[in-house]
Amino acid sequence: MIVANGLTKYYGQFAAIEQVDFSVEKGEIIGFLGPNGAGKTTTMRVLTGFTPPSRGTAEIAGYDITKDPVEVKRRVGYLPESVPLYDEMLVCSFLSYVAEVKGVASGQRRLEVERVMERCGLSHMSHRVLRNLSKGYRQRVGLAQALIGNPPVLILDEPTVGLDPQQIIEIRQMIKELGADHTVLLSTHILPEVTMVCQRVLIINKGRIVAQDTMQNLAGANSVIELEVSGETSAAAAALEKVGELVSFSSEGATRFTAVAKEGCEPGPAVTKALIEAGVGVVSLRRRTQTLEDIFLRSISGDEAANAGGAK
Amino acid sequence: MRNVWAVCKREFASYFVTPIGYVVIGVFAAILGLGFSASFLFYAKISVNPSEYAYASVPDFEETLLSPFLVFAGLLIMFIGPLVTMRLLSEEKNRGTMELLLTHPLRDREIIFGKYLAALGMLVVMMAVLTVHLLIIGYYVDVETTVLGFGLLTVFLMGAAFLALGLFVSSIANTQVTAGTMTFGLWFVLYILGSFGENLPKTNPAPESWGQGLRLAVGAAYGIFSKLVQQLPLDVHAREMAKGIVAPKDIVYYVLFAAFFLFLTFRSLESRKWRA
Repeated sequence: MIVANGLTKYYGQFAAIEQVDFSVEKGEIIGFLGPNGAGKTTTMRVLTGFTPPSRGTAEIAGYDITKDPVEVKRRVGYLPESVPLYDEMLVCSFLSYVAEVKGVASGQRRLEVERVMERCGLSHMSHRVLRNLSKGYRQRVGLAQALIGNPPVLILDEPTVGLDPQQIIEIRQMIKELGADHTVLLSTHILPEVTMVCQRVLIINKGRIVAQDTMQNLAGANSVIELEVSGETSAAAAALEKVGELVSFSSEGATRFTAVAKEGCEPGPAVTKALIEAGVGVVSLRRRTQTLEDIFLRSISGDEAANAGGAK
Repeated sequence: MRNVWAVCKREFASYFVTPIGYVVIGVFAAILGLGFSASFLFYAKISVNPSEYAYASVPDFEETLLSPFLVFAGLLIMFIGPLVTMRLLSEEKNRGTMELLLTHPLRDREIIFGKYLAALGMLVVMMAVLTVHLLIIGYYVDVETTVLGFGLLTVFLMGAAFLALGLFVSSIANTQVTAGTMTFGLWFVLYILGSFGENLPKTNPAPESWGQGLRLAVGAAYGIFSKLVQQLPLDVHAREMAKGIVAPKDIVYYVLFAAFFLFLTFRSLESRKWRA
């Protein structure tokens, strides 16, 4: 449904995104992760036709974003990050304007507006002036205008920012439901959200895609060991360095380590042995499956470390 | 076409949701009414006693009252014009709603024509106010209806041409204030140019002592320059038209003026595609 091919966008000399390739299948909910300024919003803006790419192309629903921008825009519902709205308008007249622009036939316009207002919990706010809405309600209006016309692709830039916990749960539930017959690309900072909602993640850092896979593959492949040791920290680090089963490890504080194992490896025994041989006391050792947080932190900070580990 | 209408409707409605629409129409009606009363009273005084004002007989109505009044109306519309056009595109950029506008399935030309039509809508409301005055003239004075009709057309063309310029300025400015100020500045330049053009010497400004070739070149350049200064201001062409003398070149001038700036607006909106 979405195919990005070497998307690159320069702002002057600065490459906001570089060689971004990915594809999203129909009916998939894909999470777009990355630290601030990594290029999430830029990628979304390029996909939605707000800013043209400097190089590369993308196709949405079979239409090229630079050659058929209007056809693409007909098929994409976009919620921008800052949720810009025409502040002086009423909720219902704004949505009705969007419906008209999106080509909803005049007979169905009112029904369509009522449908999205109902969907986003806005029915009781329909005659409020947009300027007076709270952040959470603005967010809902932004989402409602994206849903108008029932576009097959939804691109949502941080859809749950500014919502209260109750609303967050509602919106996540809604996105999950939408995933049944829509293709959804959503960006977020909240990692558990991705785990809950998305089937696949894309991790972007400094304008490049650094990891992309399904949730199961990312989490299931490697197990993680949390260690607490006593004695010489440098000796422990040196010992861990020699364990062949590990992909990478990082230290938290003086005596705690988190180590990621190679795919399918059970590194516990080897790690314990190496540490004891080095004269380091093992205080505790706990094995768990890798969380998205591990993957995220590893992909954005330690891609060098991961590479070094992989070469072992 | 439906999209043009959708954009236009939203834009026009927002003039009257915010105070700006009322301010524009109110100020226009008040100043136009004052101008109308003053010039009508003055004309009446002249008519009663022409010799006191160095007129041999009662002066020609069209020349002395109607034409200057219509040109005044046109200049007034242009004076208030920046208030109408300044928000059109700059406000979208400033508020970030440009992101909505450009990601909805709209073509650039639909956005531009929709916005321009909304500004023309404001112009039509102002024309309605002007029509009331012309009806009063038509009722009390023996003037041909066609002359009044052409008068309206003249003012409309002046306004429409200037609003296109305002739309263009709004497309390059990032805030309403800069757009408004720049448009007003351009109005002022065009206006001053008008009175400047009347006083330019007709002869070649190059001194006799200069060589023949240089004199010719300077003369040609000066010719183009003075022609521009005389013909470019928006009120110059209106003066003739407002008397009921309609020349196609005057109408073409206004249409081209508007088309030129709409074209520039189009390019300016398009520039996002190649600018960083």
